[in-house]
Amino acid sequence: MIKAILIFNNHGKPRLSKFYQPYSEDTQQQIIRETFHLVSKRDENVCNFLEGGLLIGRSDNKLIYRHYATLYFVFCVDSSESELGILDLIQVFVETLDKCFENVCELDLIFHVDKVHNILAEMVMGGMVLETNMNEIVTQIDAQNKLEKSQAGLARAPACAVSAVKNMNLPEIPRNINIGDISIKVPNLPSFK
Amino acid sequence: MMGGVARGRGHILCEGKSKEAEIKRINKELANIRSKFKGDKALDGYSKKKYVCKLLFIFLLGHDIDFGHMEAGYLFISVLVNSNSELIRLINNAIKNDLASRNPTFMCLALHCIANVGSREMGEAFAADIPRILVAGDSMDSVKQSAALCLLRLYKASPDLVPMGEWTARVVHLLNDQHMGVVTAAVSLITCLCKKNPDDFKTCISLAVSRLSRIVSSASTDLQDYTYYFVPAPWLSVKLLRLLQCYPPPEDAAVKGRLVECLETVLNKAQEPPKSKKVQHSNAKNAILFETISLIIHYDSEPNLLVRACNQLGQFLQHRETNLRYLALESMCTLASSEFSHEAVKTHIDTVINALKTERDVSVRQRAADLLYAMCDRSNAKQIVSEMLRYLETADYAIREEIVLKVAILAEKYAVDYSWYVDTILNLIRIAGDYVSEEVWYRVLQIVTNRDDVQGYAAKTVFEALQAPACHENMVKVGGYILGEFGNLIAGDPRSSPPVQFSLLHSKFHLCSVATRALLLSTYIKFINLFPETKATIQAVLRAGSQLRNADVELQQRAVEYLTLSSVASTDVLATVLEEMPPFPERESSILAKLKRKKGPGAGSALDDGRRDPSSNDINGGVEPTPSTVSTPSPSADLLGLRAAPPPAAPPASAGAGNLLVDVFDGPAAQPSLGPTPEEAFLSPGPEDIGPPIPEADELLNKFVCKNNGVLFENQLLQIGVKSEFRQNLGRMYLFYGNKTSVQFQNFSPTVVHPGDLQTHILSGPAQPPASRPASPGRPSSSWRSWLTQLAVQTKRVAAQVDGGAQVQQVLNIECLRDFLTPPLLSVRFRYGGAPQAFTLKLPVTINKFFQPTEMAAQDFFQRWKQLSL
Repeated sequence: MIKAILIFNNHGKPRLSKFYQPYSEDTQQQIIRETFHLVSKRDENVCNFLEGGLLIGRSDNKLIYRHYATLYFVFCVDSSESELGILDLIQVFVETLDKCFENVCELDLIFHVDKVHNILAEMVMGGMVLETNMNEIVTQIDAQNKLEKSQAGLARAPACAVSAVKNMNLPEIPRNINIGDISIKVPNLPSFK
Repeated sequence: MMGGVARGRGHILCEGKSKEAEIKRINKELANIRSKFKGDKALDGYSKKKYVCKLLFIFLLGHDIDFGHMEAGYLFISVLVNSNSELIRLINNAIKNDLASRNPTFMCLALHCIANVGSREMGEAFAADIPRILVAGDSMDSVKQSAALCLLRLYKASPDLVPMGEWTARVVHLLNDQHMGVVTAAVSLITCLCKKNPDDFKTCISLAVSRLSRIVSSASTDLQDYTYYFVPAPWLSVKLLRLLQCYPPPEDAAVKGRLVECLETVLNKAQEPPKSKKVQHSNAKNAILFETISLIIHYDSEPNLLVRACNQLGQFLQHRETNLRYLALESMCTLASSEFSHEAVKTHIDTVINALKTERDVSVRQRAADLLYAMCDRSNAKQIVSEMLRYLETADYAIREEIVLKVAILAEKYAVDYSWYVDTILNLIRIAGDYVSEEVWYRVLQIVTNRDDVQGYAAKTVFEALQAPACHENMVKVGGYILGEFGNLIAGDPRSSPPVQFSLLHSKFHLCSVATRALLLSTYIKFINLFPETKATIQAVLRAGSQLRNADVELQQRAVEYLTLSSVASTDVLATVLEEMPPFPERESSILAKLKRKKGPGAGSALDDGRRDPSSNDINGGVEPTPSTVSTPSPSADLLGLRAAPPPAAPPASAGAGNLLVDVFDGPAAQPSLGPTPEEAFLSPGPEDIGPPIPEADELLNKFVCKNNGVLFENQLLQIGVKSEFRQNLGRMYLFYGNKTSVQFQNFSPTVVHPGDLQTHILSGPAQPPASRPASPGRPSSSWRSWLTQLAVQTKRVAAQVDGGAQVQQVLNIECLRDFLTPPLLSVRFRYGGAPQAFTLKLPVTINKFFQPTEMAAQDFFQRWKQLSL
């Protein structure tokens, strides 16, 4: 089972974190920090598996990671997963991101964190690998995008809510609500040095 | 992020007392949100989130808001909510509707949500529905896929909630499904379920084998989308091979034949030239290969395949991919335990040693060390042990102790002659003295004591080792003990004559800790017996002010008593009292136990007991049992009885009994065993339930029998230091709690409880009124706890928060009111990063801390002594 999926950049700024076991937010932050320290000090051509890490690496958990340009993709898994299999899964994930964003870069992960979460949800569900077929994943994501567009999607969720509010028989009916481009950003967490 | 929701709800709920008020409040809130979105464009990310969360919450409360698309809602839930949130109850209703909707998109989303939250409450609500969806004929593939994993997740979270039933048989048939994604999900589910109920899922073996064989024999293009870099369905193959590892080899010959064929095909394919130069291609291929090898090792019945697997791993050992070298070493470790392939594994010894020496990656080096340990037998023990010793000099600090333990075990297990064993252990102490735990050097003393043939050699070797200008304290301990017992064997040589031996040992004396000095004092008195000519010198040393008036009561007492013993007793009495130690009774090596403890329950068994080495009979199992040791009590894990030795309670001159020394030394070691059994500790009155002491508690306590200051306990989070002083029946102890992390501990509460209370009550019949001591003025009476007749300990509460890196101090005032056997318990509880931590230690307060020397005429003493012996 996959215990957690973390993505952070070369400076330790988290870009995505998904935990499949409940941890408090403080612990999550510590885990990210600790993982970054463990992973970032390793050379480029050592192996992609490592044990250790006090918080999440305990017992039989392993960290399996890959380093792409500015980003580290780290999967924390238990012994029931094949190491090389997970390594390939990371590759599939990255290739899927690449297909969905066309030349994915760190900025895509920052500005479309919802999409990244959607893609991840198509691949990994509750810590178990759901789908490994890239085409299937991309098809699903495209379908979702279409659905979103037709229903005005997440990006305009507040707008929809507001329109709902409009219809709630409130005394004052607003006109011409201009919300602009609302996208949800990852808060700028301090980098871990 | 949750903060937003919680706050939003907080606002609404505090004020929304009635239905109308709630609606009013919501309207107000909505108006507010609307104006926020309308008003200034420059809304920051946090506020947007907050308002969307609020809207989400209002929606969940059942108000009619078309909240964008529901997917947005689900995404929020999966991102924001973890499994212990109160919101779940509200969410459940929404999910229920979606599950019943028959729209695959909605159903999938709902299943995703259940799996991502995965709480017990979710399980209670949906565990019964999901199997139905999973096996329903009309469910879409994607729904089945999600349902299988969702069920798996719920099963893992709370197995009791998932009802087994007729659906199990139908789940197995999902292995035949057309859709590869469904099969993959189903295999994951079955692999988990069949561990609990192997018989229910037995039919999956043949289905899995036929599926596997279809994949393995397919051309790389057959499976289209599920072909990954020219490898057909690697994930599914890996999962199937994992599933097969849950069962013994198939009984049906046809199925077995087909499986063996598959395994051979995979091994053959590994030899074929790669279809692509991409690393992903070889990765995927090797993922299957390693799983295949695991299965072959698991079956352990096909010598032919085992040897092929071994050769394949041998190739990988020299592969340029670090990942493959790592995995090959790891797999070989398990392979080494198979008797068919043990010899084949041994042929790779040079490669593995080379890996240990040259590998740049510490993870790989550690695997290499593990493998060397696993492949060791009598034929290569010397080579392996010497390589590991060499590696120890440069090894990473984190793994040194483990390597020390492994070397010690191998050296003992495969020793052909014991002089080699002694050399090895002494080398170990020389190279990595700090990492040599008590178990290791106790064991060498045990073996030397029990084997006549090695005693002379041991004495000579330690004597030489001690001549090094700087030697580790553990070396001094071993040296002191061995020379005290067997120094006479080398006394004939003028270079190691008795005075030389003594002055050599005494030159180290002043640099050593109290425990070592106590041991050396015992050595000195043994010297008086062995070499009468050193008597005057040694008596002068004992008589010196620094010994007789030593601040440490233990040293002082030893000096006083040994001095008296040497001057009062006749040579005969001395010879009896200070006789050579009798051989130790045979018992399981405590080092092995320690290694198991260190590696955790899973890893330990794979490393040692899992070995099936046909050549290792128990010739080397340890020390041969000797029948003459009737009088030696065997303290459970304590080798010498020395570490817990309090001063002999009476001048031994009076003792005619030959084994007095043994008794004296062993007595206290038995003390921990009189300590609280878990039940007693549990029943004992205390402010809260005190758990049983941690397993190391006795060990930690014993360190403090002869010393007053030091580190009582240390783990990754917390360090507890002790400083204490005792005078007559009073003692004061300072406990220092150091937070080793960078995070604050919350609800930090150390409490002291004395487990002896209850025992005393029961033993002393009718409960006496608690001997409540009047609180003396100036002492905070609130924290007074008087322990009836034994110990009174007064403490002050410490701050409930301990900042990261900070240290807090707690003072205990201790008064000994009566003799006692069990030390008080210190229970430490705190929260670290939300997780509660609790453990119980034994406080280093033992009866000997309150001992006072006293003068007594021989006549009086004998009178008392006879009374004592009943």
